[in-house]
Amino acid sequence: MTGMDSLFLIFAVITLISAFLVVTTKNLFHAALWLIMTLFGVAAIYVLLNAFYLAVIQVIVYIGAIAILMIFAIMLTQRVMNPSGRIFNKNWIIAALLGAFMFIGLVIISMQTGASKTTLPQISGQLDTVSELGQALVSPNAYVIPFEVASVLLLAALIGAIFVSRKR
Amino acid sequence: MIPTTYYIVLSALLFTIGALGVLIRRNAIIIFMAIELMLNAANLAFVAFTRMYGIIDGQVFVFFVMTVAAAEVAVGLALIVAIFRTKHNIDIDQLNNLKG
Amino acid sequence: MTTTDLLSVFPLLILILWACLVLLLDVFLKRERLTTILTAIGLVVTLGFSISQNNLNLTGFNNMVVVDNFAVYLNIIFLGSGLLAISLAHDYLKRMGINRGEFYVLLMFSISGMMLMAIAADLIVFFLALELLSIPLYVLAAFARPRVESEEAGMKYFLLGAFSGGFVVYGIALVFGATATTNLSGIAARIAEHQADIPLLTIGAALILVGFSFKVAVVPFQMWTPDVYHGAPSAVTAFMAIGAKAAGFAALMRIFVAALPTLSEQITPIIWVLAALTMIVGNIVAVAQSNIKRMLAYSSIAHAGYILMALVSYGQSSVASVSVSAALFYLLSYAVTNFGAWAVVIAVEKAEGKGLALDDYAGIGRKYPALAAAMAIFMLSFTGVPPTLGFVGKFYLFRAVIDGGYIGLAVIGVLTSLISAFYYLRVVVIMYMRDGEPEVRSEPWLNLTTAFTAIATIVLSIFSAPILQWASQAILSTF
Repeated sequence: MTGMDSLFLIFAVITLISAFLVVTTKNLFHAALWLIMTLFGVAAIYVLLNAFYLAVIQVIVYIGAIAILMIFAIMLTQRVMNPSGRIFNKNWIIAALLGAFMFIGLVIISMQTGASKTTLPQISGQLDTVSELGQALVSPNAYVIPFEVASVLLLAALIGAIFVSRKR
Repeated sequence: MIPTTYYIVLSALLFTIGALGVLIRRNAIIIFMAIELMLNAANLAFVAFTRMYGIIDGQVFVFFVMTVAAAEVAVGLALIVAIFRTKHNIDIDQLNNLKG
Repeated sequence: MTTTDLLSVFPLLILILWACLVLLLDVFLKRERLTTILTAIGLVVTLGFSISQNNLNLTGFNNMVVVDNFAVYLNIIFLGSGLLAISLAHDYLKRMGINRGEFYVLLMFSISGMMLMAIAADLIVFFLALELLSIPLYVLAAFARPRVESEEAGMKYFLLGAFSGGFVVYGIALVFGATATTNLSGIAARIAEHQADIPLLTIGAALILVGFSFKVAVVPFQMWTPDVYHGAPSAVTAFMAIGAKAAGFAALMRIFVAALPTLSEQITPIIWVLAALTMIVGNIVAVAQSNIKRMLAYSSIAHAGYILMALVSYGQSSVASVSVSAALFYLLSYAVTNFGAWAVVIAVEKAEGKGLALDDYAGIGRKYPALAAAMAIFMLSFTGVPPTLGFVGKFYLFRAVIDGGYIGLAVIGVLTSLISAFYYLRVVVIMYMRDGEPEVRSEPWLNLTTAFTAIATIVLSIFSAPILQWASQAILSTF
């Protein structure tokens, strides 16, 4: 087992355990902290996959903005220290069965695929993904349409969020 | 080296945990966190496949998924906070003003 | 960027720029009436540009978007729905005390998302279009805030929509893993060259199907649809029932018919079961409803099942184009009828969620004969009784399904239509046979919409040949 392999295992285990705790913890605030942990784990795996830029964006956007916004929402909506009542709804047994079924299906399929035989190709040293990514985002032959639509989407979300949270 | 499958299995697990969370939890914010787990699982799969094929497209997609997640979080949390102000509860099975 | 690129997204560009302009004018002028008129002008202008794209068959931005007659047909439905939604909303918003300019801006953004969905040819664009049409709809569903029903509808729609988005993204990730591309033409090419990873592709396609099934409200993914339709302001519900459904089906048809016909062996049984379940559950549960909005919500679920039937035979190239045009025609007939029915609901509805029970329709037949006649036409059209648009739509749909060789499914469709006659005709019976003291709003735009859709429901069914001709030309470009 090489160093890379053990790093992958460590981060995978961290990610999965914290993800599991997100959906099972009773305390909302703890769940948000576990979510941050999961997001860090995913960022670390991005690094292992040579996606350094995305790892940074993951930390900035997901942890720095989204997770923090969620903590704000928790602070605004709950008595953080003593949540009361059941945490699961009535359907949890059916849901658990459904989840197990779905997972087994996904694993079987992904084990069968060609992906299982291919190991990752070695990346040549000077691959400049950031500028490649930037070029792809604004080139008319690549992703300029989704890029512009994303900006319209953010504008629409902005208007919507302001409308919903504005006082009457 | 680790085969791509390991990354895909990891992402499948993460996706399943997220989907389960949506189905079993009652609190709207936790449900939303579980949805974020699902999106992260997809992103992980994209990055792994990008690495496998050595092309940039998957990373571009991750970029857009993050943008969408940010847009959703703005609207979603605004809605959740607004409903808390009127109802003082955000457990979805307590939201039963609409039963016919 | 070439002229073709620009031309392919031109109507969309106009609409988005117009939405931004209306937003600014609304902020600075604060004249709601002007905002309404400007929005209507914007939609009409965009409609003109959309129609001018007919028969152009453009692809733009390196196959990122494709403007074929299929897209033009759907864009006309979306823009027409937008115009009808404005005429429904105009007085309704004032009456409910929620007359705000954001309504029109968000409506335009949502329509632009739908139009993008119709022209999308890359899975990235489908995903972003899905979100662009949904996010404004979440807010519109909650538009009557601080009324708790409306806020609840908005939040439930949001959670459901975000959940379905998760399925779509994961499905796209797996499709990308199987084919190394997200472009529909690229995917089709990879499959043709036998370079695609079929098991991975199948499960990815199934997840995409599940994701869009939430959007078009197919059983068993319909959980909160009735709550959302019930809680959202009626004018929004009317728009949502058409727009989101048509856009969802546009995406399903484009993705499956144009790019993945080779997967039909695995996907068709799933669609068969979903369509059958949706027709059965939607129609049976609708019988038990006593609230007109919930009844129409279940009816919309049932109609999603009918439209989904058209997709069952998507893999047979000889039948696929007939099925697609039958589905497109059905969408049009459902759109016209649905807006009419909601116009009547809005006319009877009162503030604070009153006037929505079926019993509130008692006596309308005697006191307001014109309105009752219109409602009767819409209910007959929903049931599929001649001479209405709904009948013609169902006729072509069932014929396409039988052509595909799925007799069993067509039988389920006919039987569930019989069940649906029970609850649709009950409304008619209540209106004419029972005595009551109904109070009905008479607002010029509302009356105009009701009259227009009622006449269209009858007249278009008699002269359905040109429309069907038009729908049959609206075939998908294949890759």
